[in-house]
Amino acid sequence: MSENNGPIMVTLQSNDMQQIQVEKAIVERSMLIKNMLDDLGDGVIGQTIPIPNVTEPVLRKVIEWCEHHRGDPPSTNEDESDNRKKTTDIEEWDQKFMQVDQEMLFEIILASNYLDIKPLLDVGCKTVANMIKGKSPEEIRKTFNITNDFTAEEEEQIRRENEWAEDR
Amino acid sequence: MESYQQLPPTTRHDGLAYRSNDDQSAHSNHHQHAMIVARSRQPSFPVKAADESGETLSRDNCDRRRPEENGDSSRLPNVSQQFMGQTVTPFLREHIPGLYAPIGKPDLPSMISLKNKDPNSKFCYRHRPDSKCRRAADESKMALIQSELESLPCGDRQAITNVWSLFSAAPTKHRELMLQGIITQCCFPQLSIVSREVHEQLKIDFLSTLPTELSLKILCYLDCSSLCKAAQVSRRWNTLSGDDVVWHRMCEQHIGRKCEKCHWGLPRLEKKRLKEWKIQHQADLQNSRRAMVPSLATSVNGHGSLASSAAKRGAETLDDHARPKRQCIQSAATSSQPPTTSQQELEKKFRPWKDVYRDRFKVGSNWKYGRATMKTFAGQHTNGVTCLQFDDNILATGSYDSTIKLWDIETSEVIRTLHGHTMGIRALQFDDRMLVSGSLDSTVKIWNWRTGACINTLNHQGGVITVHMDGDLLASGSMDRSIKIFNFKTQQTYSLRGHQDWVNHVRLDVSSRTLLSASDDCTVKLWDLDSQTCIKTYEGHVGQVQQVLPLPDDYEFEDENTRDADAVSVASNRSGTPGLCASSSLPTPQPDEERAAYGPAFQLDSERPLPPRYMLTGSLDATMRLWDTATGKTPRCFFGHVEGLWAIAVDSLRFVSGSNDATVKIWEPRTGRCERTFTGHAGPVTAVGLSDSRVASGGEDGEVRLYSFEANPSECEQYGTPS
Repeated sequence: MSENNGPIMVTLQSNDMQQIQVEKAIVERSMLIKNMLDDLGDGVIGQTIPIPNVTEPVLRKVIEWCEHHRGDPPSTNEDESDNRKKTTDIEEWDQKFMQVDQEMLFEIILASNYLDIKPLLDVGCKTVANMIKGKSPEEIRKTFNITNDFTAEEEEQIRRENEWAEDR
Repeated sequence: MESYQQLPPTTRHDGLAYRSNDDQSAHSNHHQHAMIVARSRQPSFPVKAADESGETLSRDNCDRRRPEENGDSSRLPNVSQQFMGQTVTPFLREHIPGLYAPIGKPDLPSMISLKNKDPNSKFCYRHRPDSKCRRAADESKMALIQSELESLPCGDRQAITNVWSLFSAAPTKHRELMLQGIITQCCFPQLSIVSREVHEQLKIDFLSTLPTELSLKILCYLDCSSLCKAAQVSRRWNTLSGDDVVWHRMCEQHIGRKCEKCHWGLPRLEKKRLKEWKIQHQADLQNSRRAMVPSLATSVNGHGSLASSAAKRGAETLDDHARPKRQCIQSAATSSQPPTTSQQELEKKFRPWKDVYRDRFKVGSNWKYGRATMKTFAGQHTNGVTCLQFDDNILATGSYDSTIKLWDIETSEVIRTLHGHTMGIRALQFDDRMLVSGSLDSTVKIWNWRTGACINTLNHQGGVITVHMDGDLLASGSMDRSIKIFNFKTQQTYSLRGHQDWVNHVRLDVSSRTLLSASDDCTVKLWDLDSQTCIKTYEGHVGQVQQVLPLPDDYEFEDENTRDADAVSVASNRSGTPGLCASSSLPTPQPDEERAAYGPAFQLDSERPLPPRYMLTGSLDATMRLWDTATGKTPRCFFGHVEGLWAIAVDSLRFVSGSNDATVKIWEPRTGRCERTFTGHAGPVTAVGLSDSRVASGGEDGEVRLYSFEANPSECEQYGTPS
């Protein structure tokens, strides 16, 4: 693949039929798209790639992330298996990036899962985990608007079943 | 409707609150606007009829269009009634079946287009009736709407309800358009309402709404306490947060080692229980392999080969790791497939990982708070206890009274006494097959401890102070300053000479074919069993070195100064040994210097596993020292005992020391901090033993005290003094 005449551009088409031009190198953060481009070869470059599961605002947000992280080293499978390195620390830029409403966060997680952008999926999931961490059950319910569907007896029993975790 | 007409427009807009704007202006505006949207394809729609009245611009309204339309509001009900039939009804007829009866009315034009399209492009997922993520009605909000609505005249109610029903029936695209139209006409106070309402309502139950595997991924980032809080949120959360995938990971992170993140480690399962589990699992796997899909079988096989290729030294630890993997495969299979009968049966046989973790957690906090039950084994030995070892059921003790006793831990009674040595016992070790003992009578005896028969006797030139067997080898150290190695298989014996004084302790390392020895000459030596020569001598103790123990491979020395460099320390400490974790299937190449540090034998043979990287020694100089065997440095010295140390024991989570000062101390391996001090012996502590949930000490008072940290906190007493 020649890269002599400026960056190769790719056109994505979102669910709501909006077309977005993106640099190939950026969009290839998505393993789904990268594999597709690899499989289909250069011939497909001029064509529009439909992304039927993602709406335009979300797709733009995802591309914004890919653009910022274009220089990141490719993720290895190693950190997946090394449990000890798994933390919920999120780098500052990503934290800011994830300051969106819950619906957008939800959509980013789904989109990164669908597009197979693992680091973004990780950041999304960590963001949700951080919203849960350290909260009481009632605070969690409030944060995510969840109805308590336990009966009073069940709630008491489950509370007792889980109180061991406080003994520390 | 009458009441509406009777009210002059001005009175309705005099109120301070913009609620009146809301109620009233929304009435006329939204009403018409909705119709505009609904009929946007009909340019002849007479919206502008209202403009002619154009009056009353003076009021403090903030709506651009409302004033123009106020004048003719009295006409509106009639107009709207006319239009309702023409606009609302067809709109609802067209769209509602598409929303709620997707297969019910195939003859409608909208249904045909619907069928040809991805449903996602037509409806947002939240409005698909089959979607799980529809929001439940907010009771108080609905009540508020109801009462507000009831306060309005009938015509207004009708009109407002029409707006809502139009919106309700509209497909996503239309809804968005409607919303945009409405929002553009909102003033700041109204936008503020929107903002507040949105903030309040834009809340998503992520875990219940996301695909299960993503929900579990999120939960995998949580700590134990948060997971247990999450379990109390709702039924769905309870199920998800208790999932085996999540707790298996927690177990992997914490059991048998300290979690990097939270520095909280949990004890391993007892070996025996582990074995029972393993047998059970393998049986289950045999079944499941037959019953389940091929992909599962291959992954199990794949793991099996990995396990068998791992070095023998890690077998014990490996069990621990192999087990979760298998369980993981199993649980992954169950969660991703509709449960079949065989899978349900399997599920019953496995304890949930959360329960495993909880039990270990209880033991962990018992250790932390010194909550234990204690048993004393006394009144049988007529002289001091010099050595001990225990497993789940049996405690073996050796004494200066020349006997070895086997105790039933449950009943605290002696089940057998081994007679045969003619002088005091100084060392013993037992396993499933046999018991070996070293005595001051200059012999090593090998016993069938089940029958009490002595199988073999080996001789030294002086009293035997230490024995250690591993694999096919038996090593012994003696007052004659030599170390003898006996090979069970070849029946051959050879000696290692070099210490200047008594050899107090020996430790074989079969995988690297080396031996560690501690001596009264104040040194520790590392021996190459291939060449039968000393590789290194470690000097530093100023008193007789009584004990030397290699630290587990996963021990990571953590210097306060190099704390940030933890990325480096993750790799296994030994290069030649395949790592214990699945992650290190590609062994990390160690720097050549480390290999060179152990001499040419290791330098030339790059395949040869390296000796244990760290060792711990206890000396009569009252200190315990941590050594880096490669560099010979002692990065840490443990101070606290006021007299010499006779015995030490280690595992991944703690170091234990017994001293002449009659105390037993438990140390935190990473920080080197003394966690707790136990007293109780009426004399020097000469032997200690350690397992995941128990610690034992034997003293010159002839007693053994066994503390068990397994029981429920309520059944325990507090022992020891925290430091």
